[in-house]
Amino acid sequence: MLSATSGGRGSGLGFAMPAILLLLAFFVIPVAFLLMRSVTEPAPGLQNYATLLGSTTYAKIFFNTFFVAGVVTAITVLIAFPVAWALAIMPARWSAVIFAVILLSMWTNLLARTYAWMVLLQQTGLINRMLKAIGLIDQPLQLTNNLIGVTIGMVYIMLPFMILPLLGVIRKIDPAILQAAALCGATRAQALRRVLLPLAGPGLASGGLMVFVMSLGYFVTPSLLGGTANMMLAELIAQQVQSLVNWGMGGAAAFVLLVVTLGLYAVQLRFFDQAEAR
Amino acid sequence: MLLDFDKLGAWKWALSAICAVMALFLLLPILFIVALSFGSSRWLIFPPPGWTLKWYEELFADPRWIGAALTSAKIGVIVMVLSVVLGLLASMALVRGTFRGRAVLRAFFLTPMVLPVVIVAVALYAAFLRLGLNGTLPGFVIAHLIVALPFAIITISGALETFDPSIEDAAILCGASPWEARLRVTLPGIRHGLFSAAIFSFLISWDEVVLAIFMASPALQTLPVKVWTTLRQDLTPVIAAASTLLVALTVILMIVAALIRKGKSE
Amino acid sequence: MTTPFLHINGIRKTYGDVVATDHVELSIAEGEFMTFLGPSGSGKSTTLYILAGFQDPTAGDIRLRGQSILRTPSHKRNIGMVFQRYTLFPHLSVGENVAFPLRVRRMGQAEVAAKVKRALSLVRLDGFEDRMPARMSGGQQQRVALARALVYDPPVLLMDEPLSALDKKLREEIQFEIRRIHQETGVTILYVTHDQEEALRLSDRIAIFNRGKIEQVGTGPELYANPATHFVADFIGDSAFLSGRLASLKGGRAAIRFEGGQQIVDVPLHGAGQEGQAADLMLRPERMELTPEAGPAGASLPVTVQDITFLGNCTSVAARTDWGDALTVRLNFGHPLAGRVARGDRLNVRWSPEAAHAFVRG
Ligand SMILES: Nc1ncnc2c1ncn2[C@@H]1O[C@H](COP(=O)(O)OP(=O)(O)O)[C@@H](O)[C@H]1O
Ligand SMILES: [Mg+2]
Repeated sequence: MLSATSGGRGSGLGFAMPAILLLLAFFVIPVAFLLMRSVTEPAPGLQNYATLLGSTTYAKIFFNTFFVAGVVTAITVLIAFPVAWALAIMPARWSAVIFAVILLSMWTNLLARTYAWMVLLQQTGLINRMLKAIGLIDQPLQLTNNLIGVTIGMVYIMLPFMILPLLGVIRKIDPAILQAAALCGATRAQALRRVLLPLAGPGLASGGLMVFVMSLGYFVTPSLLGGTANMMLAELIAQQVQSLVNWGMGGAAAFVLLVVTLGLYAVQLRFFDQAEAR
Repeated sequence: MLLDFDKLGAWKWALSAICAVMALFLLLPILFIVALSFGSSRWLIFPPPGWTLKWYEELFADPRWIGAALTSAKIGVIVMVLSVVLGLLASMALVRGTFRGRAVLRAFFLTPMVLPVVIVAVALYAAFLRLGLNGTLPGFVIAHLIVALPFAIITISGALETFDPSIEDAAILCGASPWEARLRVTLPGIRHGLFSAAIFSFLISWDEVVLAIFMASPALQTLPVKVWTTLRQDLTPVIAAASTLLVALTVILMIVAALIRKGKSE
Repeated sequence: MTTPFLHINGIRKTYGDVVATDHVELSIAEGEFMTFLGPSGSGKSTTLYILAGFQDPTAGDIRLRGQSILRTPSHKRNIGMVFQRYTLFPHLSVGENVAFPLRVRRMGQAEVAAKVKRALSLVRLDGFEDRMPARMSGGQQQRVALARALVYDPPVLLMDEPLSALDKKLREEIQFEIRRIHQETGVTILYVTHDQEEALRLSDRIAIFNRGKIEQVGTGPELYANPATHFVADFIGDSAFLSGRLASLKGGRAAIRFEGGQQIVDVPLHGAGQEGQAADLMLRPERMELTPEAGPAGASLPVTVQDITFLGNCTSVAARTDWGDALTVRLNFGHPLAGRVARGDRLNVRWSPEAAHAFVRG
């Protein structure tokens, strides 16, 4: 509190200048230009947005994007809650092992992980052959180049992002509160529904929102596991710019994604603020 | 009760089982790749009919793989240094500064992290087309720096926040000039944060694929770009070999990070 | 008139609308142990930080041996300081922490080693050179901080509630050490605390802070015997205050009348007032006595016993005056009344003449 002010050393804003200039030059201005092109190319006007929000081709892409993000978020939340709960209370030795696995998976190269699922899920892949071996199926299931593959791959990638924040929230809950609930006569199921879940609620909501937002803009896994027939929004942006050189449409799609992302992020910030204000 | 593992009764086993299944779900694909990279089947049959090192030989015999790895390493190291330096300066402003609007500046610094990378990639691609930076080393460095910097700032400002400014004051009263105090007391005091930021920044650059796909030219590409382009053609076991090496690198860096954490708690 | 060793000359510091210190004026002699005592937020630390150079005063001056030090940056002031929080450099060993001030002064290796050894010995931590701060208790860390602040022989040592994070027993132990070190080194100490016992135990003189101002400066006994203000009287000692009105005034002494007509006469009056004005009668607990029979008129009061608590060496009797003010009287162990008082008893309090003071309310 004192150092920065003593000896008349200024406010310290100067230290931030290199980073500010870097971001202005190579982040703010380029993104602003991209968004501008959505209303200037090929001709000034909102026709890019009209096409984007009006045609069924693009409607399907929006549906894919939100549907996959929603399903991925739901599955991730369902798995992450019991896992984070268990991690918070199990003997330290076990939780350390599981924690290491989560970190390893999170830090392993994204392409390496996606590659693993491409191999596992292909028609002649291990999953299909195992299902056939135990007699569940006759014909191999189509698991890649569609939204099933994308969903599996994304759940795999998003799980750590849900578990870790949730773990932090559950660890902060005082066990005495649940002991009190038990003494008040609550069964385990009642205590879960009426005490633990509400207390973990803010963590679930903000973690889920984060996963949802990240899934909306995800590019790599949908492109590799989804194929070109099942495009999502991020792929559309890349395709418009790279293959079709249609900067107007690319910019418009980017703008839509940006607005949705920042809007949800603002909601997320409010959640955190409320959770912390308690 | 629900937060006491031993008082959970049957639920204890249910929770443990879910945990174990999830851990296997996370771990098995990685182990699977490692196994395949040593398997002799070009069609990635599992379990492999035999064991071989030929995919690694193929990988190391191909100068494009080696070149891509070297490019990635070079970019990663430059990004790491710049990210830590800029991140340290920015964190000092955010944590120790007295100017107004620090919270807003902090949010601004973190936006590249929350925006979908594809937007940053497309925007930078357009800007670099004009500046002639696509397919150049500075282009890659700038792009990766944009996404690595938020992580460096989070890590370093976190360390700086827990470092009591009174300690710096104490050094100054002991006779150290403000700069001497920062250099000899504050920097060593937050060195764990600086190391973590360096590792994070390097890994982010090293693994980054979306920006790199847009920046890359046939002459200059990073390892992830090489994996990406190969993947789009076929699922050759050479990628399994490359992935295994990447996993090995991850494990090594995780151990280093764990050692740093351990050093910190001592 | 001789120039004082250290002169805090009309220091005022404001943060926006907040007045942290207001015209603090104080002279400190060389080798003196001066304590700033006052409640939290009364401006003690601010005064210390201005001395250290971490804050610049809005107005006023600080002079050391007649020279203003305000223009000198903190690191050239050559002042020692022990902080409230633990401020050892976490990455350096104890020895290197203590050596730090000497190293930044580019002192020779041999001299550094000798001085570090002497400083650690002064705080009774001989042989701790290689220990890391994280592996030491809070008390040990503050001793190292003391050694680090003294190793370069500063003319003035500042201490800002250095013991507030320690438990009571440890605190007393280190208070004793600080006294010894003060005597051995002869360094001038400015010590901040909000604990009156600590202030009384350590200091040559005490400056009582209240709302950014110094209310009174004096030795412990002076402050206790002759509190200048109601605040000082309240802050030092566990006194009872009985509220009444001034009945008559003569030559600095007053009579006070209470609700119901009882009157106390001939007590020293502090502060200016006139007849009929509200005033408090202060009674020091150890000078009060409880008797069954009525005391002298004008220097005793009837009370009703409310509660009796046995405290080992004494029995504490809480009582109430007829108009509802509370006071507590202690009966030493073995006092004839000690075993016999009961709740609801009507008794009389009386006191020796120097134990009563009147303060004008205002
Ligand atoms: N940096 C600051 N900004 C604003 N107000 C401050 C600052 N430092 C101290 N104050 C205010 O000045 C007053 C005196 O504070 P301080 O000197 O720390 O008191 P003490 O040490 O006696 O507890 C308090 O009201 C405090 O809130
Ligand atoms: Mg204070």
